[in-house]
Amino acid sequence: MIKFIVRRLISGAVLLFLISTISYVLLYLGGGDIARRILGQTATAQTVADKAHVLGLDRPLFVQYSDWLSHALSGNLGESWFTGQPVTIAITSRVAVTLSLVLGATLLTAVISIALGVWAAVRRGWVDRVVQFISVLGFAVPGFLIALGLVIVFALNLRWFKPTGYVNLTDSFPGWLATVTLPVIALAVGGIAGVAQQVRGSVIDALRQDYVRTLRSRGLSQNRVVFKHVLRNAGGPALAVLSLQFVGLLGGAVIVEQIFAIPGLGQVAVTATSQGDIPLVMGLVLATAIIVVIVNLVIDLLQGWLNPKVRLS
Amino acid sequence: MFRWKRLTAVAAVVALGLTGCSAAGGDSSSDTASQTLNLGVIVPATTFSAADANWANESPYMQAVYDTVLKADPDGTVEPNLATKWSYNSDKTELTLTLRTDVKFTDGTKLDADAVAQNLLRFRDGVSPNKSLLASLKDATAVDDKTVKLTLTDSDPALLTSLTQNAGLIESPKAFSNKDLKTNPVGSGPYTLDTKKTVVGTSYVFEKNTKYWNPSAVHYGTIVMKVYQDPTAMLNAIKGGQVNAANTPNNNSIDEIKASGFTIVNGELNWEGLLLFDRGGTMNPALGNVKVRQAINYAFDRPALLKTIGQGYGTVTEQIFPPSSVGFDKSLDTHYTYDVKKAKELMAEAGYADGFTLNMPSSAFFGTAPFSLLQQQLKEIGITVKYTDPGNNFIPDVLAPKYPAILMVLQQDPTDWQLINFQIAPKASWNPFHYEDPKVNEFIDTIHHGSKADSDAAVKDLNAYLVDQAWFAPWFRPASNFTVDGNTAAVFQTGNAVPYLWNIKPKS
Repeated sequence: MIKFIVRRLISGAVLLFLISTISYVLLYLGGGDIARRILGQTATAQTVADKAHVLGLDRPLFVQYSDWLSHALSGNLGESWFTGQPVTIAITSRVAVTLSLVLGATLLTAVISIALGVWAAVRRGWVDRVVQFISVLGFAVPGFLIALGLVIVFALNLRWFKPTGYVNLTDSFPGWLATVTLPVIALAVGGIAGVAQQVRGSVIDALRQDYVRTLRSRGLSQNRVVFKHVLRNAGGPALAVLSLQFVGLLGGAVIVEQIFAIPGLGQVAVTATSQGDIPLVMGLVLATAIIVVIVNLVIDLLQGWLNPKVRLS
Repeated sequence: MFRWKRLTAVAAVVALGLTGCSAAGGDSSSDTASQTLNLGVIVPATTFSAADANWANESPYMQAVYDTVLKADPDGTVEPNLATKWSYNSDKTELTLTLRTDVKFTDGTKLDADAVAQNLLRFRDGVSPNKSLLASLKDATAVDDKTVKLTLTDSDPALLTSLTQNAGLIESPKAFSNKDLKTNPVGSGPYTLDTKKTVVGTSYVFEKNTKYWNPSAVHYGTIVMKVYQDPTAMLNAIKGGQVNAANTPNNNSIDEIKASGFTIVNGELNWEGLLLFDRGGTMNPALGNVKVRQAINYAFDRPALLKTIGQGYGTVTEQIFPPSSVGFDKSLDTHYTYDVKKAKELMAEAGYADGFTLNMPSSAFFGTAPFSLLQQQLKEIGITVKYTDPGNNFIPDVLAPKYPAILMVLQQDPTDWQLINFQIAPKASWNPFHYEDPKVNEFIDTIHHGSKADSDAAVKDLNAYLVDQAWFAPWFRPASNFTVDGNTAAVFQTGNAVPYLWNIKPKS
């Protein structure tokens, strides 16, 4: 087990290096005149040249990248070129916000999609058709439209929730709930559609297995058969989809955080990328890559716990 | 049965929580009563370092924590602030400022002449986008504790106004070496930044400076500046009552905003239209011919453009000087009334009866309508516009210069001298071909060195000459709208994107 974890961590480190190198080169090539973008239309050409020099943008790509890498390896990700804030602080102050949205959406996705998937698989008939219809609908409607619809109905008309902003859980639980509920729902809808279908299919497959017939012949109740035995066997594929969903939600958070003006990684990613704020974008790339590596590792371990057949040696 | 009871209880707790949250979160009205201003802004603070400070949309951040040497009224009139008196020598190359003696920075340091001198020199040598405001500053020295002398390389007609803007921001000298200078300002302003409650880039919380020397300029106990870079989010925040005052996302949403009980405070900050950069015809020979430039001006149906692009909010214009300028002449706004026939005649007289191709940049930032309409209207007189989208490099490419003409929204500075040095003078950033006209240079020289009367007359003549020579093809001045709720009042600031902070106050 430890050997497996170490191996995965080493491959994660290699992945981080490759991702950071490719990202830096792409940012450099597509960055254009970043000093001009920072200073805007009023600055003179000389002021722009001075700014480029101060930021080190007048140096060759290799020198800039090796400088960034050597600092990054010592834990110094630099400062945002646009706000002057240290990148580590910019990320750590926002990562909890995004994770609370993504984890909330993942949890909501898991609960609802398992309920819907199992219900459809066990009851079949019209229930199955309704669940399938809802799934297709969830896939078809874009997340940002769902977000805007939720804001108009539940925040602006009914005034049940806040249309924008974020309150920390530690500051106020009701405030946190009022600000994360709509974004979490908006994020979760697409995921529910996908995972519910996966759970439905897996449960139907599992219900056809011999061991289920045996369990039933021993007089076990339907609920016990489904929730204790079938779901555990059907959970593997669903968990794999859910992990992919989690990574996808990090991307989905970009749009949702913009619409709800939530100070998370997604919001800052949009701003930093469009501005060409290389230190901040690089920090975000690293943070996201680390989260993805960790999530995949945890999912692998969970798969092993759920199903002894895939337990790691 | 028991499970349902438990579920009902959980639902009730959540509902109560949300209800409680509504009260705790607070609508803007209750915030105002407790003297909190929720201000919606469209950009984060690039830096709080006074030496590198931005202005315009970032001015509220700076005005919260810093004082400026001088202060501008809403109409642009320069008033005392940290400096109570000022005087020039005979050729206006030395400015002597007398400072207040009762001002302290929030770190306890006393404001003195040396602090002001150091700040001015730091701004001149810094990397602010507006550092050219102090380009003529040769030196700044403390004569005594309350007297500063500024020595200039040449007179600067806009210097006093510059000292009301970011060039005049004064920071505590003790903070110059602070590592967190960009995010933790130390000034003498009416508020202090609460760095613990602030989320950089998203929301900035300012608390009242209880020891501020001018309490009448402090209208709130707390100011929260919330950044909404997405126009939809800003609109939702306004409609949801989460802000008391805000930049209006765009003119499309004005009716919705008014329906939410908000009032629009508007002014005209920019002009929109064409900059015919290549007046010398080096890149596109046709533009070197004044008749072609005049024909382009005749080709635009400006009222229709204002209605379509600006939703009717703004004023049609054909000059780049604003109504607040001494050079403004209302009659110039009908100099080139829409006349396709006349435009075609001018094209023929210039030898371009068959038209020509004009390469221009486009940008998603302005939407597609202005570019389509521009293309259509110039096609009517035989000019084929071909667009290239430089993406994020729009401004760098435009100023390189890579295009003979562009469509742009440009600011109308609060002083004529600033506007001239921004868009007209041979070295102006927005005269990227550095086109020179002896007559224009003569006007500029008189504006620079002449008496007040001569200078004012020269601005007027310069404006008329530029319109006649068709250096530009302005369409209209779009209305810049600022939104306030029923409990808040604001006054538009001439030449600035947003009202100055002390002019946003509770209505009562």
